[in-house]
Amino acid sequence: MLQFDQVELPAAAEALRAQVREFLREQAAQLPRPNSDFGSGHDPEFSARVGAKGWIGMTWPKEYGGGERSFFERYVVTEELLAAGAPVGAHWIADRQSGALILRYGTEAQKQQYVPPITRGESFFSIGMSEPNSGSDLASVRTTAQRTADGWLVNGTKLWSTDAHRNHHMIALVRTEPLGDNRHAGLSQLVIDLRNDGAEIRPIKNISGHEDFNEVVFADVLIPEDRVVGEPGNGWQQVTSELAYERSGPERFLSAYRVFVELVRLVGDTPAPHEADAIGRIASHLMTLRRMSISVAGMLEEGKSPEVEAALVKELGNNFEKLVPEIARMAAPLAAESTDFRRAFTDTLLGSPAFTIRGGTREILRGVIARGLGLR
Amino acid sequence: MSTDTLHIDTASRIFGDHCDKALLDAAEAGEFPQALCQVLADNGFLQLAMHDSGFALADAFAVIRIAGRHALPVPLAEIMLANRWLNQTDALATVGLAAGEKITAAPWATQAKLVVGVSELGADAIVVRVGDVEQGANLAGESRDQVAATASEPLACGSDEPYELLALARTVQTAGALERVLELSLDYAGEREQFGRPISKFQAIQHNLAVLAAEVAAAVRAGDAAAAALGTPRQRVEIAAAKARVGEAAGVVAEIAHQVHGAMGFTHEHRLHHFTRRAWAWRDEFGNDVFWRRELGAHIASVGADAVWDFIATRG
Ligand SMILES: Cc1cc2nc3c(=O)[nH]c(=O)nc-3n(C[C@H](O)[C@H](O)[C@H](O)COP(=O)(O)OP(=O)(O)OC[C@H]3O[C@@H](n4cnc5c(N)ncnc54)[C@H](O)[C@@H]3O)c2cc1C
Repeated sequence: MLQFDQVELPAAAEALRAQVREFLREQAAQLPRPNSDFGSGHDPEFSARVGAKGWIGMTWPKEYGGGERSFFERYVVTEELLAAGAPVGAHWIADRQSGALILRYGTEAQKQQYVPPITRGESFFSIGMSEPNSGSDLASVRTTAQRTADGWLVNGTKLWSTDAHRNHHMIALVRTEPLGDNRHAGLSQLVIDLRNDGAEIRPIKNISGHEDFNEVVFADVLIPEDRVVGEPGNGWQQVTSELAYERSGPERFLSAYRVFVELVRLVGDTPAPHEADAIGRIASHLMTLRRMSISVAGMLEEGKSPEVEAALVKELGNNFEKLVPEIARMAAPLAAESTDFRRAFTDTLLGSPAFTIRGGTREILRGVIARGLGLR
Repeated sequence: MSTDTLHIDTASRIFGDHCDKALLDAAEAGEFPQALCQVLADNGFLQLAMHDSGFALADAFAVIRIAGRHALPVPLAEIMLANRWLNQTDALATVGLAAGEKITAAPWATQAKLVVGVSELGADAIVVRVGDVEQGANLAGESRDQVAATASEPLACGSDEPYELLALARTVQTAGALERVLELSLDYAGEREQFGRPISKFQAIQHNLAVLAAEVAAAVRAGDAAAAALGTPRQRVEIAAAKARVGEAAGVVAEIAHQVHGAMGFTHEHRLHHFTRRAWAWRDEFGNDVFWRRELGAHIASVGADAVWDFIATRG
């Protein structure tokens, strides 16, 4: 049975919390309008300041610029940044998964080349998994990389690649062997230099009117030999381990957090009963989800790979993120368009369809949980 | 750690051995499970929450969750807490709601010598010697009697907030019952075959069970967190959050579980309803979701938007 232990954050993590808050107070003047969605602010200068604090790659070896700190400490830093609505988007993916992936599977040269700049908040990564015909069924990717005397010749299209037009690198899942009986075989991960390799990057406008994700087209793009992460052919195993990092953090339930804060501000200190009800309902979910996420951090700290537990927290967390604006609008129907509440509400509602799609759809996550329950 | 879990293991074994369907049906038909109550007394469970028991109060609540998992037909939480407040174990005492001239919703007042009355309005509890009893039951068929509160005396409960502790008891009982509902549902989905295969192989069933499991995990985690906050300044708000969250989970879990069980789960003969009906009843006892949400929400509003994150991010 799935178990989420009662875990208290250690004193070291709580001490760090005070430092993060102090840092955020210092930054306040320079920060744009806060938004707790991890993907909504891309600010290289801010990321460099976070890196200078030692808060990127916190759990990684010092040898590569990491902090060798606990997953609890990383948890605290990430939740504090998100709750404050800091623009963490530039370094988020590199910190959460790309760096960890390279450290786990990459060659020594790759670790030395890519990881230290990530920890300094100077090198930003995108995810190159999805394609026009490959979404949930990730193993069906069709982008190919053909080995030639000069390196890998890449052809195909990656889609929905968040911030590919702003970041330095993408780790792309590609087919390096023809499709055979085992569809999980013959896949590899390549590091793409988004600025220099010659991939064509076209931003795609989303329903909020923002251009955050992209189509990335590879037409005979030649990539140096040494850009395969780890071993050619090991891509499937690597990409699935990457997904576990992708699903476990506080960004999976804090995307709508700003709506909650602004609702509290809007109703003031003497809420009507229905307003108190709305605030209390949101808080009851939030407090519980946060504890569950800390339990998962505890499992990571113990060296476990809590794939199913992470999927469960993401499932509950994403549904909660969608529920927040629905609860809030009932409590604050008359809030004027100009208020901070309205702006947070509008941003969040327009962003909300993505909550249960990005990082694995609700249906895929439910499948993961069902497998964990022994049903499949 | 080992002594920590020993009483849990003992509770699981004893409750599991005794709480079969026949006993639950008999209790719901009005027959007090005297023998089981004696076993609980002999094993020290009725004294577990007493100040000198050697156990932390949270340990008692861990046992109460196990009681929920087995639909224990003895009102263990009420007896434990009454004994704690009365500092006695020689006479059976339970707890109900002080409501003017009456104490209502007291389980098995017919069996009790003393009944404690608690109120949502504050810490002042009363105790009465049981006279005339008007028997009643909640929607799970659990005894909920009414007692005249004549000649009541005030009862000092120290720093305990009696209503909060009873709300926490229902919270963890519900979490326990929901854990059991998940087990029953997984078993049933694996056994029941339609269209030539176990229904657990259908994606719609798998997804519903995933949702059910997630709600159960949240309920258990919420209850544990509230129990861990006992005796701290966060006790009230953590219990409020947990009772509200578990109340919401109860509805979702019971609904899905019955859907997965088909008509069989709608029969009295099946065990499922002993747990789903309790979850439905318990979510409304000692403050329903809305009661506690308003408490929590009003508190957060008083904290204010600029300090709300500090409130949320206090304690693991
Ligand atoms: C904002 C945003 C940012 C993103 N950023 C990136 C990025 O940076 N890099 C990247 O690689 N990808 C990114 N993605 C893509 C994301 O990973 C995919 O959208 C996701 O994997 C789903 O794929 P799809 O959109 O093609 O939907 P599909 O897989 O076509 O699914 C459509 C619907 O069918 C359901 N479905 C599919 N298969 C099954 C099944 N077996 N059983 C039941 N239901 C099923 C899905 O759950 C969904 O509801 C992003 C997406 C969004 C919305």
